[in-house]
Amino acid sequence: MTAVDRNARWRQFVDPAILFVILAILWEKAVDVFHIKPYLLPPLSKVVTAFWDTRATLLAESWVTVQEVVAGFFLAVVGGIVLGFVLHAIPPVRRALYPVIVIFQGLPKIALAPLMIVWFGYGITSKVLMAFLFAFFPVVISTMGGLASTPSHLIEHFKAIRATPWTTFRRLHVPAALPSILDGCRTAMPLAVIGAIVGEFVGAERGLGHLILEANANGRTDLLFAALVAVSIVAGILYFLVELAARRVWWRAL
Amino acid sequence: MDAAVATPPRTASPAVAGEAGIRVRDVAKTFGGASGVRALERVDFSIPRGQFVSILGPSGCGKSTLLRIIAGLIPPDAGGEVEILGRRQQGVSPEIGVVFQSHNMLPWCTTEQNIRLAAEVQGLAPAEIDKRVNDILPVLKLEKFRRSYPHELSGGMRQRAALGQMLVLQPQVLLLDEPFGALDALTRDQLNVELLRLWQLMRKTVLLITHSIPEAIFLSDRVLVMSERPGHVLDDITIDLPRPRDPRAAKLAPEFGRYVVQLGRLMGVED
Ligand SMILES: Nc1ncnc2c1ncn2[C@@H]1O[C@H](COP(=O)(O)OP(=O)(O)OP(=O)(O)O)[C@@H](O)[C@H]1O
Ligand SMILES: [Mg+2]
Repeated sequence: MTAVDRNARWRQFVDPAILFVILAILWEKAVDVFHIKPYLLPPLSKVVTAFWDTRATLLAESWVTVQEVVAGFFLAVVGGIVLGFVLHAIPPVRRALYPVIVIFQGLPKIALAPLMIVWFGYGITSKVLMAFLFAFFPVVISTMGGLASTPSHLIEHFKAIRATPWTTFRRLHVPAALPSILDGCRTAMPLAVIGAIVGEFVGAERGLGHLILEANANGRTDLLFAALVAVSIVAGILYFLVELAARRVWWRAL
Repeated sequence: MDAAVATPPRTASPAVAGEAGIRVRDVAKTFGGASGVRALERVDFSIPRGQFVSILGPSGCGKSTLLRIIAGLIPPDAGGEVEILGRRQQGVSPEIGVVFQSHNMLPWCTTEQNIRLAAEVQGLAPAEIDKRVNDILPVLKLEKFRRSYPHELSGGMRQRAALGQMLVLQPQVLLLDEPFGALDALTRDQLNVELLRLWQLMRKTVLLITHSIPEAIFLSDRVLVMSERPGHVLDDITIDLPRPRDPRAAKLAPEFGRYVVQLGRLMGVED
């Protein structure tokens, strides 16, 4: 590793940190200087205090939300990949189902939240389904796209070496589609977080979305901000995990 | 020499009598129905076992299409047929190895994994595959790059690896579609010498498609010249140059020059 590389790596963390500190100071000072009322925007120090004081609650509620997101995301990825493969492999099914999928994708998924609550109650299931609904379609579409973009000369090569359809699927189509599928997963993860939070907004007794509503109702804007920080930490960690998985498919970058 | 590529070497003239390696009868091909593109028109020729034959022809005249039909990847129009080693071609036959115009390597597999692929697909024993791969890699001068991925190889290495991908199944009939197409003249000459050396060792039936007149003359026992689309065989020239051939000596020989002029005229290239 050269000195320039090391420097670039170092800067990668330092530059955002500097910006972060500047913004934090501006926030703290602005609240003071412009006499902003704390129920509109509490000073950063109060948000930090609220975050620390309620850390146990935040952790517990985050855990609920994480479970909802992960379960919904997992279902979306498995279901999306399976459906993507089926649609790719069986043209009649594709012709029949594709328009339905496009229409569903156009539907604002937020509008389905009340229905999910009515059907599946205030518990975790309705939120898992909301996360699933938000995350599902990008995975289906990217799976189909990845499969369709398998280079035709490689398909011909597999024919020339008399590979069975199953071998061709396993050793050509799957690896060829993986980069696109993982791009779909990277789109899907933040959507799954949105889905779960929206579900919690509409009707829940637990979770970060519920905590945000509760803090809002009690005029605890500092707690609301602390919950928002928790949401972004959760979303960031989950996205990073998907990104780590995506990096293992290194031929994506070729 | 290596068992994977060697059958007893012979030095005599390669034209072997008896059943044909490749026999093409009345093959025509129209893409997209009766009103579509007529790519090939009544192609008819035969290649004796062990002969090295090249096809020259203008771009788009149907050379790759002909190769795909011979390989059994697409059927000819009704009335035409292809025989491989005396057997009528139906689907892809195991005696055939193909190298396509665009290289066949999987980007996510190393050179070695790519060369193993065809053998694994055929269910050969791993020990046997190891042996074949270990024989092939030195012949293709790829030992040092067995664990490299395609994007880490040079163009010439990729094309050598493509030969390896085909050789691992030890086919009797080789179909090569401009295997060295995208290379500079020098690398191409080197690979041609290697290809000739391989062929001299194995004495398989080879059908090579090329755009290069000198390449065709240097390598082949016969050169087939194809017409503009719809392609058919315009002429069938026997190359009567002694073997083994050395690229520099061969190209200095007066006969070589005469063949270049003759083929150039047939292809409409003015000298
Ligand atoms: N699958 C296909 N569907 C429709 N038309 C095709 C198909 N494959 C080839 N053709 C057409 O057949 C003709 C011959 O194509 P082919 O690839 O055999 O040419 P070629 O002689 O190999 O050319 P080149 O020297 O440029 O590789 C072209 O006009 C091409 O457009
Ligand atoms: Mg071609």
